[in-house]
Amino acid sequence: MELARSARAGDESAFEEIMRRYSPRVFRFASRFFRQRSLVEEAAQEVFLKAFTELDSFEGRGSMEGWLTRITTNTCLNLLRSAKRRPELTVSDLTEDETTWLDSNLGQAANERHKASERSLVAADLTGRVLQTLSPDDQLVLMLVDGEENSVKDVVKMTGWSESKVKVQAFRARRRMRQAVEKLLARKPSATAKAQR
Amino acid sequence: MRDNHIINLIDETSFESLSDTDLETIRSHVAECESCESASAAARVASLMLKERTAEAFEPSPFFQTRVLAHLRESQTANETWGWSRIWRAAGALASSMVATVAALAVLTFVIPEAPYSSELESASARNIYSAEEVILNPSELIEEQVSDDYVLSTLYDVAEDTVK
Repeated sequence: MELARSARAGDESAFEEIMRRYSPRVFRFASRFFRQRSLVEEAAQEVFLKAFTELDSFEGRGSMEGWLTRITTNTCLNLLRSAKRRPELTVSDLTEDETTWLDSNLGQAANERHKASERSLVAADLTGRVLQTLSPDDQLVLMLVDGEENSVKDVVKMTGWSESKVKVQAFRARRRMRQAVEKLLARKPSATAKAQR
Repeated sequence: MRDNHIINLIDETSFESLSDTDLETIRSHVAECESCESASAAARVASLMLKERTAEAFEPSPFFQTRVLAHLRESQTANETWGWSRIWRAAGALASSMVATVAALAVLTFVIPEAPYSSELESASARNIYSAEEVILNPSELIEEQVSDDYVLSTLYDVAEDTVK
């Protein structure tokens, strides 16, 4: 609160300290939605510029982290909304690595195998591409609820949505993501065969 | 039976958060239902994908703070400049409108010749020998100069008789 007060009074070093403390968290959060460093940086920069201009609205009742998380959520959602939504992802769009990842993760013993870092990278890329076929609201709720395992109440605080909207959105987003992945798997004869084995 | 399908169950929560009981229900159902089996496999993969995605994060670059501060200063300077330029533009508009009004008045006063109707009015007032002041201040003189009704009547009848003749 002291930092916020000083920053509001025009103390640049106080605002610098706020950035130093909270930028890792803002970056981590924005990384859930954007796969390119430049986009993550753009989102984070916008978050702090907004935070600076809206310092007066921070009354200190909640934590600074919570306040910044909410700004980050809204900023990311707005950036997702302004980005062009990709058309449906098809098997032919997948790289060889992505196809291999899908194959290897269809088996029941996948949980042990998918830990390798290079596989994680492939999975993260593939997830990004699948997510881009969904609406911004779907992407947001999936990352917050299923990706980060936030409670519905936390997501309500972050987004400002009602509890029922979060639940319904999560249910529908999960279904749409599952259907998108199901289509990819269904069109992959080798993967389906492995899954059935 | 459709009611027994587990699709709603797998969409209700993340696959990784399903309880053991739910997982057992799913396992026993997908053993007999092909459509639910593919749905269940997709839900599991989707859940894994989201987990993988959250495992990755970018760290702020060393120059991030410097860049944001520079951007802030830049936008503040731009705001100030914009404010001054707005005032300057407003003052400029006011000054130019004043100059235009003065010029218009000068043109009307010195360049455009006097309107004809005003000279007619002036000549009419010149013909009128009685000014307002005279009427108010010297009413007796006016009475003396007034022509009597008898004179007017006799003049009129004389003219009429002459015309008949």
